[in-house]
Amino acid sequence: MTQDRMSPKERIGAFLSGGTLDRFPCVPLILNHAARISGVKIGEHNRNGRIMGECHIAAYRRYGQDLITIFSDTAVVAEAMGTELHYPADDVPRVERPAVTDPNDRSRLVRPAAGDAGLGVYLEAIRTAVAAVGDEVAVTCCFAAPFTTAAGLRGTDQLARDLYRNRDLAHDLLKLSLEVCKDFSDAVVDAGGIPVIVDPVATGSVLGERQFREFALPYLQELHAHIARRGLPVVLHICGQTSRILDAMLEAGAALLSLDDISMSEARDRAADRVALMGNVRPAQTLLQGTPEDVLREVRELCAIGRECRRGFILGSGCEVPIESPVENVEAMLAGVREFGRLD
Amino acid sequence: MTPHTDDMLKRLAQAVVDMDEEGAVAAAHRVIEQGLDPYVAITEGLSRGMLEVGDLYDRGVYFVPEILICSDAMTSAIEVLKPHITTAPEHKPVTVILGVVEGDIHDIGKNIVKIMLEAAGFEVQDLGRDVPAEAFVAAARDAGSGIVGLSTLMSTTMKNMGKTIQALTEAGLREKFGVMIGGCPASAAFAKQIGADGYGQNAQQAIALAERLAARSTAEEPIPRPG
Repeated sequence: MTQDRMSPKERIGAFLSGGTLDRFPCVPLILNHAARISGVKIGEHNRNGRIMGECHIAAYRRYGQDLITIFSDTAVVAEAMGTELHYPADDVPRVERPAVTDPNDRSRLVRPAAGDAGLGVYLEAIRTAVAAVGDEVAVTCCFAAPFTTAAGLRGTDQLARDLYRNRDLAHDLLKLSLEVCKDFSDAVVDAGGIPVIVDPVATGSVLGERQFREFALPYLQELHAHIARRGLPVVLHICGQTSRILDAMLEAGAALLSLDDISMSEARDRAADRVALMGNVRPAQTLLQGTPEDVLREVRELCAIGRECRRGFILGSGCEVPIESPVENVEAMLAGVREFGRLD
Repeated sequence: MTPHTDDMLKRLAQAVVDMDEEGAVAAAHRVIEQGLDPYVAITEGLSRGMLEVGDLYDRGVYFVPEILICSDAMTSAIEVLKPHITTAPEHKPVTVILGVVEGDIHDIGKNIVKIMLEAAGFEVQDLGRDVPAEAFVAAARDAGSGIVGLSTLMSTTMKNMGKTIQALTEAGLREKFGVMIGGCPASAAFAKQIGADGYGQNAQQAIALAERLAARSTAEEPIPRPG
């Protein structure tokens, strides 16, 4: 097997500056799966920043991926603003009670301090990982954009209805969420991390293009501009079906789009001359349920398309690496990119 | 059908398509005032509107927010009409027991499928979300026969689909029910693996699958459709 000649940090640095790479970077979205590498229960991983950081250090040492990606749940920002989450002992948290179940509740929303609740867990995880391995790999922190955060504040069903019935409330929640996201992105950067913005509820599986443009896009643009002003590349991940909203996503100001349920060749045709692309080995069908051979096959196809992506390509997973994914399957992504993704 | 009734049914359907809750409710009240058949108003008026909404959704004209609001219009109108229904349906509608499996609370997909199944003439028992296997079994026992629909968005909870099917089998109920699964981590291959009868990738496929399963199990009595 061909050996890497660059450290992950060097490779990503070259990727961002347009320098020479030895191979495509490989970033499986190892999120809660990191806990499994250390045999730590998910509930503990999600609520203890030092443990979360240590799980990511161990996962990085196991896999050698090109970015560390810290994350527990999309409702963490909403939680800091007042939404109640339930944390099972060994599974991801879920929304127990949205903060703004009644529209009048919006007056009770909190603009949190940067380290409140789950946000503080993330910051400690970033600092822990950066201290241990920050010289060889960049540490990113994934958190929800304003639209997904507003869905966590209001309940997704209700927010969907608000887009018609109570647009003022929707925009109020989005504006407040934007401020909190900006604050947190600053805290991530100050802790030595790189923000990655995820907006799963704004997916084309839920919204049409017109709704994405009105309710998701302006807030993404402003958040991305805020991050860019800190001198950082902007990474946007939206899972689900994004074909319908891809044109609008291109206007969000991200340097790198991480994609899920869209063919990478379609994304290449429509977007590769404007933005770098990342993705999209299928999480459930392939990483969880497939074999290493299935993974290699997908990686091979994706790398072939990646070579035609003018602004760069990162081999990634379509969405979160499923928690119970066999280690061999994730390892196969790295092995595959070394075999099929050479650029030197 | 008189032109008058026909006009009223079109009005009910259009109110649903137009996301016009007030208009749908007003039309429902007029149905009662004019002594028209409230059951027909639902199956041939409101439901037809909802089926058109489903078509608009498939074609990418309507999206999730629209479906929810159209459905609210229909539900509000049904609430006006239901107390006045005296006609029993000609055929007993097929029961579909729907739920998001244990551990998962993402229910938008399941809610859309429920809306479209009801528009298509099924009777839906919605168990909600985070539904343990035992609850599916209890509902199945009560219903006697029909279809069970399992949904999940998370890969961590997919195993609970298999667990539910196993529980149905152990309770001696599996043969009485068609079992369909949905949700993006699942697949036709996964359906086969866990012994489900099929996988629906979207609401349209779910309805088509439900109709196939219903026709299979009730060959002498096909499910009632509006019109």
